[in-house]
Amino acid sequence: MASDPKGSQLRRILLIFFSLSIILPLSSPSPTMHNNNWAVLVCTSRFWFNYRHMANTLSLYRTVKRLGIPDERIILMLADDMACNARNNYPAQVFNNENHQLNLYGDNVEVDYRGYEVTVENFLRVLTGRHEASVPRSKRLLSDEGSHILLYMTGHGGNEFLKFQDTEELQSHDLADAVKQMKEKNRFKELLIMVDTCQAATLFSQLQSPGVVAIGSSMKGENSYSHHLDPDVGVSVVDRFTFYTLAFFERLDMYSNASLNSLFTSYDPTLLMSTAYYRTDLYERPLNMVPVTNFFGSVMKTIPTDSAYPGFLVAHASEYATISAETETARVVLEDEADHSKTYDQSEKGLQHILDEWLKLLEGKLGVKDPEVLVAYGLGSMVLLLTISTWLSS
Amino acid sequence: MADDTSAAAGTSTETGAGTGSNLRTTKPGTKRLFLTVSVLISFLLGAPFLLKSTEIHRSPLPSAAISSLSDHLHSNPPSFPCHFQAIFLSPFKPSDSSLSLSVAERIRAQLSAQSCGNCNFTVSVTVDSGSSCRDEGDAASAACLWECGGGGLVDAIEGRDDQGIDELLLSAVNERTGGCAGRVYSVFVMEGRDERVVIGKHRHAWMVLKDLDDSTSVVSMIGTVFGDYFMRGGVEKGEYIPVGSDGNVVLSFSLLNSNPSDWIYDWDFQRTGEVLLAPVLEALAPVANITMESQVLYHAPKSSISYWDEKLEAYVVNTRDLPFFVNSNEWHLDTSLSASGRSKVLQFVVYVPSASECPLYIRTPEGEMSKTNAFISPMWGGVAIWNPPGCSMQSQGIHIVRDVLPPQELEKIIEIFIGQLRLLFGLNSNYVEPSPIFKVLASEKGFTNWELDLLYRQHTCFNLLSSLSTLQSLSTLVESLPRMIVMDEIGKQVELSLEAANLAERNISLGINNASALSSIRARALAEDAFFHPSIMSISYSSMEHYFAIYMPFFAPVSLHVLLAAVKEVKRYFAERSKYLTFRASKLKSS
Repeated sequence: MASDPKGSQLRRILLIFFSLSIILPLSSPSPTMHNNNWAVLVCTSRFWFNYRHMANTLSLYRTVKRLGIPDERIILMLADDMACNARNNYPAQVFNNENHQLNLYGDNVEVDYRGYEVTVENFLRVLTGRHEASVPRSKRLLSDEGSHILLYMTGHGGNEFLKFQDTEELQSHDLADAVKQMKEKNRFKELLIMVDTCQAATLFSQLQSPGVVAIGSSMKGENSYSHHLDPDVGVSVVDRFTFYTLAFFERLDMYSNASLNSLFTSYDPTLLMSTAYYRTDLYERPLNMVPVTNFFGSVMKTIPTDSAYPGFLVAHASEYATISAETETARVVLEDEADHSKTYDQSEKGLQHILDEWLKLLEGKLGVKDPEVLVAYGLGSMVLLLTISTWLSS
Repeated sequence: MADDTSAAAGTSTETGAGTGSNLRTTKPGTKRLFLTVSVLISFLLGAPFLLKSTEIHRSPLPSAAISSLSDHLHSNPPSFPCHFQAIFLSPFKPSDSSLSLSVAERIRAQLSAQSCGNCNFTVSVTVDSGSSCRDEGDAASAACLWECGGGGLVDAIEGRDDQGIDELLLSAVNERTGGCAGRVYSVFVMEGRDERVVIGKHRHAWMVLKDLDDSTSVVSMIGTVFGDYFMRGGVEKGEYIPVGSDGNVVLSFSLLNSNPSDWIYDWDFQRTGEVLLAPVLEALAPVANITMESQVLYHAPKSSISYWDEKLEAYVVNTRDLPFFVNSNEWHLDTSLSASGRSKVLQFVVYVPSASECPLYIRTPEGEMSKTNAFISPMWGGVAIWNPPGCSMQSQGIHIVRDVLPPQELEKIIEIFIGQLRLLFGLNSNYVEPSPIFKVLASEKGFTNWELDLLYRQHTCFNLLSSLSTLQSLSTLVESLPRMIVMDEIGKQVELSLEAANLAERNISLGINNASALSSIRARALAEDAFFHPSIMSISYSSMEHYFAIYMPFFAPVSLHVLLAAVKEVKRYFAERSKYLTFRASKLKSS
């Protein structure tokens, strides 16, 4: 039978079209693509004379909101006792500059942890994600493996610690541990830590996890200073490091692409009166290629939808019009056989083991199941023994 | 005087000849020895009670089982058995003898990097053309081979529409492959007048070709259908897992009225949406437990800029500005009541623009209007813009329009949402049709059966690997903190998670895909529950130094004294005893 040349050519075209049909309209990114930004802003001080710490945090809150991060992706922890403090000359207003141009507490401030909820335990729970089941979603850090997180902490600190609300301390190894746990569970893709306290650089000295870049306002042995005093309010209203950070961000909007390197190198040690130290050894991207909006702004990767799922409505209509029974074979879920091969690690060896065995023997002999009762019996017999021997020797 | 005598008596009873000599006449008393040694012994006897009462409760974790299962899964990743069969319903003479091998080779040639959830496939080819019936290749079992006698199918197919052919072939497959009907992918090849290739919505496809002479191209087409579509879903490398760690997904549908002073729209999502989406949610049940909720919001403007385009006569938003479209400050979308802490919420938003920007379209980089007027953001959700009818003329209206979204429009929007849901799960929203001959049928479940199989495989593999790595991290963490309390609940969750993982693995090898997917979700949820248990806070465990610091001040001084006293008493007793013995010896010698 003579082969039809037109037919074979058509088939060849068909073949080519088949292979071309693999090329897709959308780009398929790898699983660790950056797809959202989070900010955790922590003010660890309370009391009126630490006004500037709350002003620091609120200023940064406004900045990240202005650059696009929504409230649902910001965790704000404040003691929140400044605005309505009895000593506040301007009730319900918090300023970060003596010109009083910007009221930081004006509108749309959503504080997630306020007052006495700002504790080391809650902070570590936010970072590691280990909350009680009743904690609402707005108080959780719901980041995933594509998130960039900005962690900003301000307050009073020292060599390898940060003071929380005058009662507790956060140690640098606790922070490093929490970040390690976060990395193990892939709770972030990249993390930027900014610390504005005295001896800030010591707080992140124990970090080991990859993907972290950290900057502190001062090095070990240096203090961080406030910027200026507001004579009307009566206290210092902003810290130097945060002041110059805000000055940098004043010029930016959400479309700009200034790099992290330009931010880090904009700090002048003479103006700050301390050395802003940053560590990038755990971070693989070069800082001049990272736009600040990667952390401070919001980015949403969007892909236009090329088409709907055509035929869905038709299929739906036809399926439910002609009640055609789907003859799918019933899937059987296999029950698990009794798999009682539990092997526990007998890690207790030596003395502990011997003591346990002896206790078990005692328990068996006396027929006592509850160890508490056994301990009570033991103590009682000890006292008895002592009294008898004392009486005998008298 | 009385004192002297008593003192003298005392000394005389104590040491018969204590002054300087090494002898004593009486046996040394044992009362003091007995007293001090009994105190010491009572301390020693009580030590285990102390240790037992201050021991921290650590529920034992099966770390050995976890690491062995984890190693096992990493060395041989879960491979799902798939069986491909090609059935020629018209006479076919292959150029080379082993057809199934060449098909298998063709499939393997297109296999890209090993991704999670790949098929471990076997191929069989049957030529069943009425007069003769010949098959070759291997099948998992004899039951999965095509029974001969399907030659009459070609005539039955003639003249039917695609849906009808699909159902007919489904019943043929069920009839002739017996118990394997749910695990076999088939391609039917036949001769016919109008050439076409159709991939059905179950697990089979059919090709109608003018003639079957060029066997290489036929083989390659069969290989493409099996390899690119049935095995990989037509996607290069899309792997999105938008499922929360507790196995729940909440689909949150919102209708956003940008400016209510222009017009206010409501919708009847409950009736229309739930009816249309119920089969989709049911089909995805082995992948996640999906719930739906809907809301209508007002005063929700977008935050990107749109401008008037003369050519299209509408307001347009560039694709470049889409990342800034979602105005998270005004769009209060994340107000879900049913989403618990670890569920994933996917937002589907219908945006109704205000009068000042109506009609609003998305403009592609080529300058055209987007066909769907919608976009997605991976792992977040999707947005679709709906322009109210006649809105360009409405700008002169003075009264507020209150209206309901027409059901037909809502249905069209839901079609777009289904496309977006498919994109969010990593598939194509629609298949690019390279030629009019090629066609993929749509399913009322939103996903065809073979696409669902692909999703189940991907999710099962991901869930298994994720839960094992979580359990591994948990056991390393627990081991690194030897004095951290491990509650019973955590031990129980770890055990159940391991059980579910083992069950899932067993079901994978048997090919029961949806049961393995369900078990893998359970394994992952339990592993995450155990890892994120709120009691594992490293700052609240007591280290060994802490333990010593508490108990040392109680016991160290006392035990020191007791020990010293006992030692002193024992030494004194033996010294006195030796004195007495030497006295006795000397007395014996002298007498």
